[in-house]
Amino acid sequence: MNPSSSKQESLKQRTQRSTKTLFIWTFSWVASLAVLSFGPKFIWDFNMIFSAMAILGNLVLGYKMIMANKEHLLAMDEMHQRIQLEAMGISLGVGLVIGTSYETLEDIRVISYEPEISHLIMVMAVVYMIRIILGYRKYA
Amino acid sequence: MKNRLKVLRAERDWTQADLADALDVSRQTINAIEKGKFDPSLPLAFKAARLFHMAIEDIFQDGGV
Repeated sequence: MNPSSSKQESLKQRTQRSTKTLFIWTFSWVASLAVLSFGPKFIWDFNMIFSAMAILGNLVLGYKMIMANKEHLLAMDEMHQRIQLEAMGISLGVGLVIGTSYETLEDIRVISYEPEISHLIMVMAVVYMIRIILGYRKYA
Repeated sequence: MKNRLKVLRAERDWTQADLADALDVSRQTINAIEKGKFDPSLPLAFKAARLFHMAIEDIFQDGGV
């Protein structure tokens, strides 16, 4: 006997909807970042008004992506929320520690190039993915 | 934390997916709870108790005692 067939659908539908929403806003934010990065040089010749509009658009879409990510997290069940929160907590901590150390490396002349934020984002993304995999294995 | 979810589920001939349906969680979560790898929140424990018409302590026992 199936004790309830409608609720699993609601969880599934909830997760699917939040994933779709998160994908849309993430894609929009990445697209706006591309416009912000390449638009001034290749499209509007560093016109300040257009650049300001691109920055504003990027920030608004970034805010929508953050909110969509929060809703995506809330749509999960409690075990998946815990896995996500553990991964986010670890990647945030690693980002803080590695980021501050990395930024100092140029100041103390350990490295000769300027630290790039993209390197830090890549490190955080890798740590996040590893923790997600470990989290799923932990509770499997 | 130990629990009797697997036994109670088997008595009713429910699958993990059926129980997950009823508790509005994923099948993986039910599996983790049954194996004692994940402790459910109090609201989820109450939900399970209501579903099986039992007291929480008749389903979940503190493994440390």
